[in-house]
Amino acid sequence: MNGPSGAPSLPVKMTTLPQPQLPPSAKPSAAGAVLRVRGVEKSFHRGVWPLRRRIEVLRGASLDVKAGELVGLVGENGSGKSTLIQVIVGLLGSDSGEVDRPERLGYCPQQPMLWEKLTVAEHFQLYGRAYGMSDEELATAEADLLEELQFARYRDYRTEALSGGTRQKLNLAISLMHDPALLLLDEPYSGFDWETYLRFWEMAERRRDEGMGILIVSHLLAERERLDRMYELCEGRICTC
Amino acid sequence: MLSAALPASTAFVREHLRAPLTLVLLVAIPAFFVLIFASVLGEFADALGGDLMAQSATAISAGWAAAFLSGTLAFFQVSSSRSADRRLAAAGLGPARVAVSRIVAALAIGLAVSAVAFVTLWLRSGIGHPFHAAVAIFTFAAIYIGIGALIGAFVKGQLEGSLLVLLVFSVDAFSGPQMTSNGAVSWTPTRNAANLLIAAGGAEGSPSGDWIGSAAVALGALAVALLAFWFSARSRA
Repeated sequence: MNGPSGAPSLPVKMTTLPQPQLPPSAKPSAAGAVLRVRGVEKSFHRGVWPLRRRIEVLRGASLDVKAGELVGLVGENGSGKSTLIQVIVGLLGSDSGEVDRPERLGYCPQQPMLWEKLTVAEHFQLYGRAYGMSDEELATAEADLLEELQFARYRDYRTEALSGGTRQKLNLAISLMHDPALLLLDEPYSGFDWETYLRFWEMAERRRDEGMGILIVSHLLAERERLDRMYELCEGRICTC
Repeated sequence: MLSAALPASTAFVREHLRAPLTLVLLVAIPAFFVLIFASVLGEFADALGGDLMAQSATAISAGWAAAFLSGTLAFFQVSSSRSADRRLAAAGLGPARVAVSRIVAALAIGLAVSAVAFVTLWLRSGIGHPFHAAVAIFTFAAIYIGIGALIGAFVKGQLEGSLLVLLVFSVDAFSGPQMTSNGAVSWTPTRNAANLLIAAGGAEGSPSGDWIGSAAVALGALAVALLAFWFSARSRA
């Protein structure tokens, strides 16, 4: 496999961790890591030859998220937070490093990646198929999330007709509908009003308590107290936080 | 594979047909091409020393209508849904099934576009060999699904990409059979399909070489389209 430069790059190991089996009463944080990232490097190339230049974004980032843990990922603009999340999800390949993650993964991107002409219900349908959910599971998940995020009345609206906040609710609901073992949230509350923002944190904390591992990209230091741990990305590496 | 991809294909077709402008263009473009573009094409052929007859120009214009619509719609299928398709692929559908869904949707749209172009041609001038003409018009659509999807996979800007589709279309259309006296361009993607359509419009049969050639180019174009859709939905290196 060649890296973006065309030069041979190290193979990236992307493996699947077994789903943690938690008894209902168990303390989830004892169940071990649901995400293990080691030494991930990623660079991009910009411009055309001879002005082509290489931009190193990640320079050996490593982090862990355990089941039942709500972990923050902070860093300045352009520090590589979204790139790291996309490498973990598998949307981007990395130049080197290792990512061990569960197969059942939820991803809420910073910019909703939705189809403008499809309705909210059709998005649930499409993702339900992609996640391999049965019709019954899909119907239950859809009803629960529409209720929980309070946007049931927009079920038959096309995405293009939704406000920014409601789009973001759909974006978040899609990442949660299959009850993933690991949830990756890239600034998931942009566009949320205060009420929805608070409800979002209640949802996240409740799922954390049920054993879900959550990694959330955040800019807001005020959220530090809601998190179990926090990583900071500095110049492509995890630095002490 | 197909059973998993089919619900997505249905959604992708719905996505296109919900754009009111697409629906208007679906009727307006075949009418424009068959009624107006045909005579322009004939005049161009005259100016370039070609011998394209009016009846042939009318017939071939139905193919160009199907090609133009299918090509631009295939381009926008890739271009406007790139990130959403990648997310769906990463969620578990996989790039191969997303690509199959997209190509099924593109073919369904191509079939609809071809049907409208065929009916417009029939109403305008009648068709000597309707079955031959229908196959030839759909071949035009299939070839341009490949061209549109390929451009969509590599050109990110919607303006640049749609202009490039238009450029390929223009070169192809004005270099077609009987357009010039010296046959300056001996091969274009739609040459065999154009020969079929011209012959069908005049109630003539076509040599097997044109049938084989057009089938080969159309299948090749669909394979290219499948790869282009897969390329757009896959993980980035």
